Amino acid sequence: MNPIFASLVGYWPVALAGAVGALVPRRESARERGLLGLFAALAALLLIALWPASGAVETENLPGEWPHFLNLLVGLPLAGAVAILFLPRQTPKLLRGFTMVVLLVDLAASLYLLKVPMTRGWHFVYVHEWMPSLGIRYHVAIDGISLWMVLLTTFITPIAAWVTFGSIKTRVKDLCFAFLLLQAAMLGAFVSLDLFLFYVFWELMLVPMYLMIGIWGGAEKIKAAFKFFLYTMTGSVLMLAAMLYIVWEYKKLAGAPSFDLLALQRLVLPQHAQMLCFAAFALAFLIKVPMFPVHTWLPDAHVQAPTGGSIILAALLLKMGTYAYLRFAMGLFPGASGSAAATLAGIAVLGGILYGALVAWKQDDMKKLIAYSSVAHLGYVMLGLFAITPSAIEGSILQMVNHGISTGALFLLVGVIYDRRHTRDMAEFGGLAKVMPIYAAMFLIVTFASIGVPGTNGFVGEFLVIMGTMISPRLRGFGGVDATLAAAGVILAAIYMLTLVQKVFFGPLSNPKNFHLKDLNRRETVAVAPLVLMIFVIGLFPSLFLDRTRDSVQGFFDRYSQVWAEQRVDQPARLLPPSGDAAMEKGAPALAQADQAGKGDR
Amino acid sequence: MMDALLAASPLLVVSLGALLLMLVEAFSPKSGRGSELALGTAVTLAAGAMMSIAVWAYGPEQLEGAKQLAPYLLTDRFALFFDFTLCLGGAITALLAGGYLPEHGLDRGEFYPLLSFATVGAMVLAGAGDLLSVFLGLETMSLGVYALTGFRRASKRSTEAAMKYFLLGSFAAALLLYGGALLYGATGHTDLAGIGQAIARSGAVKATGLSPAQLALEVPFPLVIVALVLVLAGLVFKVSAVPFHMWTPDAYEGAPTPATTFMAVAVKSAAFAMMLRVLLLAFGDSRAMSWDSGWPPVVALLAVLTMTVGNLVAARQESVKRMLAYSSVAHAGYVLVGVAATMRQTAHEAEASVLFYLLAYTVSTAGAFGTLILCGSRGAEAVSYDDLAGIGRRHPAAALPFALFLLSLAGVPPTAGFFGKFYLFRAAIFAGGGLTWLAVIGLLNSIIAAYYYLRVLVYMYMREPAPGAPVATPMRSGYVAVALLACAVLVLALGILPGASIDLALLAPARG
Repeated sequence: MNPIFASLVGYWPVALAGAVGALVPRRESARERGLLGLFAALAALLLIALWPASGAVETENLPGEWPHFLNLLVGLPLAGAVAILFLPRQTPKLLRGFTMVVLLVDLAASLYLLKVPMTRGWHFVYVHEWMPSLGIRYHVAIDGISLWMVLLTTFITPIAAWVTFGSIKTRVKDLCFAFLLLQAAMLGAFVSLDLFLFYVFWELMLVPMYLMIGIWGGAEKIKAAFKFFLYTMTGSVLMLAAMLYIVWEYKKLAGAPSFDLLALQRLVLPQHAQMLCFAAFALAFLIKVPMFPVHTWLPDAHVQAPTGGSIILAALLLKMGTYAYLRFAMGLFPGASGSAAATLAGIAVLGGILYGALVAWKQDDMKKLIAYSSVAHLGYVMLGLFAITPSAIEGSILQMVNHGISTGALFLLVGVIYDRRHTRDMAEFGGLAKVMPIYAAMFLIVTFASIGVPGTNGFVGEFLVIMGTMISPRLRGFGGVDATLAAAGVILAAIYMLTLVQKVFFGPLSNPKNFHLKDLNRRETVAVAPLVLMIFVIGLFPSLFLDRTRDSVQGFFDRYSQVWAEQRVDQPARLLPPSGDAAMEKGAPALAQADQAGKGDR
Repeated sequence: MMDALLAASPLLVVSLGALLLMLVEAFSPKSGRGSELALGTAVTLAAGAMMSIAVWAYGPEQLEGAKQLAPYLLTDRFALFFDFTLCLGGAITALLAGGYLPEHGLDRGEFYPLLSFATVGAMVLAGAGDLLSVFLGLETMSLGVYALTGFRRASKRSTEAAMKYFLLGSFAAALLLYGGALLYGATGHTDLAGIGQAIARSGAVKATGLSPAQLALEVPFPLVIVALVLVLAGLVFKVSAVPFHMWTPDAYEGAPTPATTFMAVAVKSAAFAMMLRVLLLAFGDSRAMSWDSGWPPVVALLAVLTMTVGNLVAARQESVKRMLAYSSVAHAGYVLVGVAATMRQTAHEAEASVLFYLLAYTVSTAGAFGTLILCGSRGAEAVSYDDLAGIGRRHPAAALPFALFLLSLAGVPPTAGFFGKFYLFRAAIFAGGGLTWLAVIGLLNSIIAAYYYLRVLVYMYMREPAPGAPVATPMRSGYVAVALLACAVLVLALGILPGASIDLALLAPARG
């Protein structure tokens, strides 16, 4: 082929961008369209010039694991969000339909993940060089832990969007954009194994949620939105500083920088530095969870956010904190996280489970009550993570999913009554079971799940966590006390949740405004039904979930114990030799020259 | 000879273009030619940027003739990188002016030659390797900018701003000049490299202890310190670091917005180029650069002060334009963190981070001021938060880019501003020692910054204008639209794929 022609063919994206720019906007004049086309072509040229030279890194995936699968999962909502920008503002139906289709296709695609056996190690690994000189790569992978987070995200977001579309009719375009961007950012954060990539997604999540609270929220929406943004950002900038610090230490030892989790896991910092870095990471994640005493943004954000925002916030964004604590704070700093575990577990029990439950008990606003119950429930999740036994971690992961489902459903149901009465004050209600029987039944089921009645999902998770805490060697003998108090928290949960149910649904139907309330309509039933279904599926067949998590948790725990055993008091920073566990190291960056030379000497 | 011409070509292209523009302006009818001149200026400056890319690609090391211009005009990769940034900032300013000036009845042609000559001055500054050409470039740039600041002659604010800027600017230039005179007296050199060698030699002499005749040639270190303080004061005035920032908000607010844009992007970048050159070439020896007896602790202290004061005061502003002015003070503080980090072994990375940050800052700030221009129209300029209330609903096409640029300035990924900050603080942390804490202070400061940038988003998307309040309607201008599109593409491109530009910045050390 003629070389000039061949090089022209190589620049096809430029021609494509130019053509799209020139042909798509129909209303402008020919001159403007020509300029726009030229501009698009130049922009494409710029992108080609900036594209990193070295390409994808080969990784061995098992048969049936298409390497681009996670890219598809993350890229689909992202592309949808960009596409939304070009759809006309005046057609809310089209916008809503498009968003739902994208979210449902993403859900359907994500179900394929269930077909692949989640053995120990990483699956669906995809690595692409991003900024080689800085050691930053696009590295995504999934294991039995993130699997459930991804599925929870693809499962909850369509429900939240569906509910929101029923009640919010203003500025639909912005709403659809926010939902899709949020979905992409959350999925990206759950699957990324490169710290820089994770940070990008982590911060990207803030903006759509901020807009969601601030635009469609309640009376105090702006204050709540600010609080949400600034609290989270405070944690994350400190995390960024710690991240840079550990990469610097790694570079000094290994010769080349890397932001890859699998590479940085080999670094063991001296005690003092490790404590500081762990504190920075843990603070970022515990603010997000949120754990006492940095939980104060949560009730505001929940009360002000629209129903869909509350569902996403409670079911997914809070999981970001717990998941990231497990993956990054514990994964990178086994020593520091282990020695802080007993103290943190105490805070989780007293400040989370007990204090959260007591505050929830005193609330009049139903949404605020559920928000504080979240603080209490996430106390269990964190307690399981602090206990660091395989069964406690498994229970925590299951409890993350459970909390997503049951609290998501509770917020959804409170949203239903708020749409009808525009109040959430419990004193306004009473005897609703007589006028809204289906609603009352649904609410009762979800309440049981939230309390953890056997047969529902909450029971299994809480049982595993409490059992794991009881036998944990890391809690310095407080394991029994922690477990007992956590069990007492279950009783408190029953008290405040049943008080809510009793006040709202039973007793005399006294308030005349409630005489003619309509029961669940079709849209609301469609939204609640899958959540209620999942409550029983997990409650009755927990092994479906635990089987897929077990190997990964065991792998994580083995690595954790191994590094823990390597801890010495007051040693300089050093690199551990490769563990030799091929499955757990799959996709890790190649070792730098200096490191290999050092290994030869030994 | 040809080599020398080629080496100086970015500067020559812009100078010749500016002269030509002046002629065109003189012979054209008094009104209605503004927009053609804007296009001409933008093309001239873009040509300057293209020439700097071309010389970069050819390799300035291969141009033997370039050495004839040294040390007055250095054409190394450092200068070329800055030439590109400055020309980009100038070209965007010209396009913004092409929309702004006719809209607000300021359509006088002299804006464009002034702008071009100020850019020439800035480019000279970036390439200056001698105190004489430093001063020459500084004054060429400053005089142009003084005039641009007072361009709205009928407005008292604009005149006051120009006067204030002129007086304080002259004062700072005098300090710089006096410091330069002391340096010449102490070392007998005016070229920066010569000064640096003399100062470095004096340290070595003291260590080995030579004869009295040689000791007579000894450079008196206290005098060098005094000179350093004076030069540094002159430099930080131009980058508007606290406590030399007092002129900034008034000058930025009083000037017509395109002039403000130019001041915020090009003047600041050129001043940082000069600062890096002077500090690294003239005061780059181990003694003047050490934490105990040199400039790094001073720069670090200035950085902390500048970031903190700039951000805290910006958070209290009621005018968006003034808020952006104070935020540019705060950004100068972040860059000073990078300047302080050049003291360590990893100096080239710290320098590269400053270069990249200034490029990212140029596109984000030019974009932010540009959208502010776009949001106002004849007689009703958008300046306060209230003017922007509800614009996200009424004019999404104006609000979306504004949000993008503000998020970039706040440092939210995936934008150029985020990566700039990331790379800058990475350099500080990789430098080790106390600079790690400097980076932590900088990062905490970016939370305050997030607060006031988000406030604009609050007004745009979450508030509605008070009933009866005057509502700003965005102007329609192809020039402004093109400038904003270019900024937006660059903000995203530098944020998502910064690898290539960072590799380029790494090739451009100030010490040649």
